[in-house]
Order: sequence, then C-alpha cells, then structure tokens
Amino acid sequence: MTMPAYLLFAVSSGLIAGGYADRPAFNDKIAPQTLDDFREIQQALQSNLARTRAATVCLQMDGGSGSAVIISEDGLVLTAAHVTGKIDEEIKVIMEDGRELKGVSLGLNSETDSAMLQIIDEGPFPFVEVDKDDSTKLGDWVFSLGHSGGFDKERGVNVRVGRLVRQANSTIQSDCMLIGGDSGGPLFNMAGELIGIHSRVGASREESMHVPIREFQSHWDELKKGSFIGEGGFAKKSKPGSGFLGVITEEAKEGGLRITEVWEESVAAEVGLKMGDRILEIAGEAATEEVMSNKLTELGAGEKLKLKWISGEETKEETLKLGERP
Amino acid sequence: MNKILRILVLVALPLSANSLPSEKRKNGPMIQKALSPVQVSLQESSAVFYNNENSKLFIYGTVVSEDGLILTKASELEEVKDYHVRVGTKKYRSPKLISRNDSWDVALVKIEAEGLKSVDLESKIEVNHGTWIVSNGATERRFRRPRAGIVSANKREIPGGSPAVLGVSLNAKDEKLLVGNVTKESGAEKAGLKEGDELLEVDGTEIKDRDSFIKYLTSKSPGNVVKLKVKRAEETLDFEVELMARHKLFGGTQNRNDQLSGGETQQSPRRTGFPMVLQHETTLSRRTVGGPIFTLDGEFVGMNIAAANRVEVFAIPVEELAKIVEDFQKSS
Repeated sequence: MTMPAYLLFAVSSGLIAGGYADRPAFNDKIAPQTLDDFREIQQALQSNLARTRAATVCLQMDGGSGSAVIISEDGLVLTAAHVTGKIDEEIKVIMEDGRELKGVSLGLNSETDSAMLQIIDEGPFPFVEVDKDDSTKLGDWVFSLGHSGGFDKERGVNVRVGRLVRQANSTIQSDCMLIGGDSGGPLFNMAGELIGIHSRVGASREESMHVPIREFQSHWDELKKGSFIGEGGFAKKSKPGSGFLGVITEEAKEGGLRITEVWEESVAAEVGLKMGDRILEIAGEAATEEVMSNKLTELGAGEKLKLKWISGEETKEETLKLGERP
Repeated sequence: MNKILRILVLVALPLSANSLPSEKRKNGPMIQKALSPVQVSLQESSAVFYNNENSKLFIYGTVVSEDGLILTKASELEEVKDYHVRVGTKKYRSPKLISRNDSWDVALVKIEAEGLKSVDLESKIEVNHGTWIVSNGATERRFRRPRAGIVSANKREIPGGSPAVLGVSLNAKDEKLLVGNVTKESGAEKAGLKEGDELLEVDGTEIKDRDSFIKYLTSKSPGNVVKLKVKRAEETLDFEVELMARHKLFGGTQNRNDQLSGGETQQSPRRTGFPMVLQHETTLSRRTVGGPIFTLDGEFVGMNIAAANRVEVFAIPVEELAKIVEDFQKSS
C-alpha cells in the first residue's frame, strides 16, 4: 500500500507545487463582495459533491453512530477517536446509498481525536484525496459532510458550507455547523481535498472543531498498524486486569487446565466453554495456571484472547473478547 | 434503541489561536452586505408577525397575493392571540386568519393591503445540493436582513407530525375501553373526563376496540371537537372534547441533538410531519421561519416551515406551496 506517501509529502511539501495550485480567487477575498463570488463558491462546491458524498460513510457501533470518510480505493477510512473508541473493534460501515460493509477499527490518538478504520469487504471503493500539503488557509471556504443524527437513507449525506475561522496546533475551527452523528465526518477545501475530521462543537452554534489532516499525517504509521496513542480524553484504554473470562480452573493431570466452574452470562459461557472441558492453549502458549493468571492480569475488558480447548471428543479454538470483571 | 450520536461539546480554542474576525464569517455583516441584491426580494415579499403584548417578532410570513394574502406557520400563529403584521416598512393592524392546513402546518392570513409584491408561485426553479439560498435572518422594524445557506440534503417527506390527541391514556379491560390518566390542561380534562370512565361512542358510532378508536382520532386534526358517550358508575354521560396537537400537550420529543440545538426556544416545536421539504443549513431559529427563500438571482424557491435542529431547516418547495394556495382558494 502507498499510504506513507502522505508522510513524505508532509515533510517535503516545500518542494511540491501545491495540490491547491488553482487556488480559487474567492479564497483570497476578505469576504464575498458580489453575488458572483457566491456563485463561484457554489460552483466549486457543487463540482466536488458527487465524489465526496460517495466517500462519506456512517459508522455504527453498539448503541452509537458517527461519520467517517474513505481515503483509498481499498477502503482505508479516517474518523475520530471518540467514534471508534477502541482498537480492533468490528464496526458497521454504511454508504450513502445504503450499502452496508464490514469495518475494523485500526489505531487511534486519544489526545487529538484521530482514528483509522479498515473496510474488510472487497473494493474498489469511492475515495477522496487528502490535502497533503496542508495548503488550506485561515478564511478559506470549506464544506462539511456527515450523517448528522445517524444514517437516514431518504435524507442522505448532510452538506454544510462555511469558512475556516481558527487554526491551532491540533485543532482547526470552521463555521460549518455540526451536530451529534457528524463526528468523524470530513471537512473539505473547495478543491474537494480532505482537510479535517469533525471532532466537537463549542458553546455557540457556529463553533465547530475539526482534527486537521496534519495530525493524522504525523502519526500515520502508528494509526495504521493499530496503536492506541496517548492518554487523552477522547478514548480510554481498558485497564489491565479488568478483563474477565468467567471460568475457574485447576491444572489437569493430562496437561492443560480443567474447567471446574463457568459463570453464567460470561464470555466463557457465550462461546460454549463447559464444566469439565480442558483448556490446552492460551494465546498460543501451553495452558497452565501461571499463563492464565499472567494473561488475565495483563488484559483489559474488551481485549482479545485466543483459547484452544477440548470439549468431550472435540477440539475447539476461538478468539474471544474479554468481558468486564464484575 | 436510544442511540448515542457522536459529538462532543467542548471548550473553545485558546485565544492565542489564529482567528478570523466575526464580521468576515458566514453569518457576519460583510457577507450580509454582499447579499444586498437579494435583500430587495426579501424586503418586498416577507411579512413579519409581531405579538401585540410584547411587540416582539414571533414568526415570519410569505406574501402570496397583491391584495394581502399571507402564508405563515400555523402552529406558531395559534400561540399568539393578538398580533399585527409588517410588510416592507408598513404596519397592518388587523390581520385576519382565513384558513389553515394542518398537514403542512400552514395558515392563510389576510391583511387590508393593495399593490403588494407577491412571491412568484409559478417559479420553476430547480435547486440542488450546494445551491445558495437566502432567508430572513434577524430583522429591524423597517429592514429585513438576509442570511445565506445552502441546500443541504435530498428533497423528501418528513414523517411523524403531531397527531390530534384527546389527552388520556386508554386501558382495555374485559372487552371494555376505559379512560386511564387524564393529562392536565388537555381537552379531555377541560371537558370533564375522568379516570375509569368507560368509552361507549364517538361521534355517534360505537367504539369497538382501542385500535379502531385510535384510528378514528388520527383521522382528525388538532382543534376538531369529538362527541364522546361514556359510562360512569351507572350513569351515561355526553362530552364534547377538543382535540389538541400532541406536541402542544406533551412537547416535542427531546433527544441530545435537540438539547444541542437549544431545545424549543430555538427549534420549532412542530418540526416533523411534512409531505415534502427542501432542506437547507441556514442558521435560523423557531422565530425566523415562515418567510420566503430565494436564490441568488432572486427567484422564489419556497417558504421556511421549521427550524428542525441546529443544522437542518425545512422549507416547503414552491411547487407544493402553489398547490396549498390553490386548495385554500378552492375551499373558500
């Protein structure tokens, strides 16, 4: 895959004729002066809508909904950390036409609210270009897309227009209005290049905060390989030791761990572990009391654990997601 | 399911941040000034409704005839007993409510005027996502201020609406239909219905079961009166109950996005249930809908009918508005 190219561009942007070379004239006016200025903004916006709308998706998690945008043909997606919330989580991806796809969350930065996700289904997918050179300036006209309030097939993607009104290190602000469900959705310049991801709103309704694309670029590889970055407020890492399997075991004479008790309503019960079953391997290691205890001290709720066990005559293997220790 | 819709509310950016002055922003005065050619259309064909009790603007209207017919938002108009209207710079003291259409939440009002500039109900303009349209923003007594936004989503029906309700819960018991809780201030309470009353007839027809009774009520509009025959102890009693709009009795439903939108001081309480709307993203509120919207060329596009939330305003498209006016004319 060619993604690291974005990083390359980021550090060498001075050498490249800007991706926004045909910078529209209306961006260099203090404000529109005539109706023709508005018409030019409209034309630029409309010429980019079909493509950007097609790449803007709704994300559905357990009990929650946000937005996101596809940035490569094979389905790499940018969104907000407080939308995915976790690493390696299965998330439903819905396109504007209603097509449902399977996605898995990759890394996230809990300090800046950036996150990545990969669509598992086969592409090609519609995607948008990224403003690699960080060429969008204060006062530039921008537009915002998102599945405001959750997916609504009849309504489709919700479009808003505004200007870039503030810039700070890890946040940019526009006066495109946002609402619940927009989080993780894309902010574009008038060339249709992605410049930010919706993150949060301020006290007044024209205060919309976005994560600038440079924040993604500076942690691109980490995000892509699934790292949980930072200890910020946008996502909470699960606490080591908070993971709960729901079995009591003893070492078996023939090797491995014999299950002597299974909690009702535990992940163990869910995958069908039964009293008398014998666990052979834990995360690829031969099962002993020590390995089990080490793993469970290490892992938090929601994290994954691979088990191999014998139930009756049958050998089973399953990766299960730990529950929350009661 | 009560879904969490992701968006965080957070403090503003630090003041040291590089910032665009407010006059240059989307709703700022510089932008407003550039829209002045369109302001002319707003000035001529908007009506402003003022409450006589506090002299405050409470809703806009759209001029649809030279001799003073005005369309406005019915559910807001009915909240105010005594009002006057301004069109252009002129004040009209005795507006009359002629008729209303509940499925669109539109009222037709007449003022004594001549030579007004009506919007063009035959306008055949097609607008798409991203098309600029201009609405009334804030207003001065003599001057309408324009505010711009773009068409933001697919044209569509908004389901829901605000059905007519009696103001009682219903309990089905041993083949009988009984009155449960009676809501305060409802038509049922005012008429004197009491918990435990057995419902026998509505408008002269026997009530067979809960479903058919509810079906009958939903065919009615708020403001309609139904005749009920009920059995209380050994007595048979007759009541006339005025039906009320559900949102008026119970308020619109409030979710987190409604709270984010400022609740019903900002949002139109009647914001669902429209046969067809054009959606745009102009920053408007409950008090600034009802007026006309125009393209940059001053072509009439429709009439704002609801501030749905902080990012969505619904307007009745011109072709639908033409039909509404035609229906009003037929029925008068």
